[in-house]
Amino acid sequence: MPSLTTKGSFSKIYSLAPIIILFISVLNEFDFNYLNLEYFSFNFPFILIFYFTLKDFKHFDYFLVFIAGLINDTVVGLPLGISSLSYTLICISTSYLRNITIRPHPIKDWFFFLFVISLINSISYSVLTLFFSYTLILENYLINNFFTFLFYIVFLNIFKYYLKGVND
Amino acid sequence: MASSRDDFIIAIRSAFLKKSTQQKFSLLTLVFISIFIILLSSLDLRVIRYLKIGISEIVYRSSFVVSIPENFVKNTFIDIVDYTSFFKDYKKNETELKSLKSNYVSSEIILYENKELKELINDYVSSSNKILAKIIVDHDSPFLKSIIINKGSKDKIIIGTNIYDQAYLVGRVIEVNYKTSRVLLLSDLNSNIPVTIAPQNIQAIITGAGDNYGQIKYIKSGATDELTTNSIVYTSGTGAIFKSGIPIGKLKSFENNSSREYNVEFYSDFSQLKYVFAEIVSKTEVSQINEEIDEDKENNPFEAKLKILEDEIKIIEETNVKFIEENENLKNEIDDLSNKIINLNSKISSQEQEINQFDIDKEEMKFLKLNLDHGHKCRKSFFNNKGFVVGSEDYRTCVLNKGRPN
Repeated sequence: MPSLTTKGSFSKIYSLAPIIILFISVLNEFDFNYLNLEYFSFNFPFILIFYFTLKDFKHFDYFLVFIAGLINDTVVGLPLGISSLSYTLICISTSYLRNITIRPHPIKDWFFFLFVISLINSISYSVLTLFFSYTLILENYLINNFFTFLFYIVFLNIFKYYLKGVND
Repeated sequence: MASSRDDFIIAIRSAFLKKSTQQKFSLLTLVFISIFIILLSSLDLRVIRYLKIGISEIVYRSSFVVSIPENFVKNTFIDIVDYTSFFKDYKKNETELKSLKSNYVSSEIILYENKELKELINDYVSSSNKILAKIIVDHDSPFLKSIIINKGSKDKIIIGTNIYDQAYLVGRVIEVNYKTSRVLLLSDLNSNIPVTIAPQNIQAIITGAGDNYGQIKYIKSGATDELTTNSIVYTSGTGAIFKSGIPIGKLKSFENNSSREYNVEFYSDFSQLKYVFAEIVSKTEVSQINEEIDEDKENNPFEAKLKILEDEIKIIEETNVKFIEENENLKNEIDDLSNKIINLNSKISSQEQEINQFDIDKEEMKFLKLNLDHGHKCRKSFFNNKGFVVGSEDYRTCVLNKGRPN
């Protein structure tokens, strides 16, 4: 009986792993910036949210994604609500993609991901520069966008294994 | 056509409004809440400010805890890199320390003078107290260059408090919470610092470049030609944002489209910061001090004058002590050098003796060699009565001339 309980709690934690990783990544700013690789940066939360909301993962609550956005804003030092809006827009776009797609294809999803993150980064850049008078380097956003796009396909395969494990 | 448009609208509407059983809110609600929060955060309302402080306190602490494993990896990586260049750094530091020690005495005297002059020109006397703060969050984001320190309004930190790494300026506080604060680093794009470039004495404004260097933004036209590499950049104190005279960095030149341009290389490496100093400044109006002094003077002018004279004597005595110390050091240095000269002289004389001996030996060797070949021509004998006695000076000259001249 105790082993069953242990197994149950383990499977629960395992199924909640994506949302836990999301919170860790926004609190920790999961990146490799300390390696001082010039121009290198990517947005891991974008990849995570896009993938799991696209797959309609039942433990990936939109409200928690919204809270993660607020935390990200606090950690990075952006005005509150910017990241929440970005994350919610990703959720909307994936929901739309799910509605219009009959036969999903990873490559199509990948390019749709590029479109979505480009749109979101543009909105975020415009809001920060126009309404909050931040000085930002557009080049950094473009590079971040590019690497996030590239890394999607890498993480896609890892997440696929995870979902397979959950379903089994 | 109409059908495809309907499909699009249905898909969009469904994306915004449809929520599955697990979801607590529809996405449209969350979008509205996000926009509402953005609008509220742009308005500087007191309630929002306190709410933000509360959230920040919790999030910064959580972020610190969550970052522990990554920081461990990061620090290990940095340590390994440091160990590889340990000996080189040690040698460099040793030479730097020697030159700094010699500059220390004179800068102490300048500090005294500077303090007196500042008190004369300002209408207040500022006394500052630097407190040590630990950096709890430093994510080195490519977009915004800021750090979180573990000191806040509880420790009398206010917006604009200057933050130092040793004696070098690293930034200023832009957000204060109860026990934490956010520091905008000099390298951030939104950071503008009024500076003086020495020794040319040029006023300019430096902005962060988003990297570990600053750019000269506003400078008098034509003044760029006067700049040289390694010119020192320090705060000018204009605008009262930063205190004056705080070192920031030095100029580094680079070629840009066949023209020479300058960047500011910061003294402090912002990616390696672990602890910083926050300067808590308290200002006392000079008029109040003067009033107090005046009251004393009125009570007993003779005593007041005596006090001033005593203070002057104290300053002179302190300066004298510094000079005596410096003289003592110089005397020791002279003694050392004299000893070195004596040692070198004795070494030179012994070497000269050796050289002379060598020359004599060489001469003797030459004579002996020639003696073997030409000795019989110069030696006095039964058959050679014109010769010389062996060992005489004439015999030696004869041998060296390879025989008697005919």
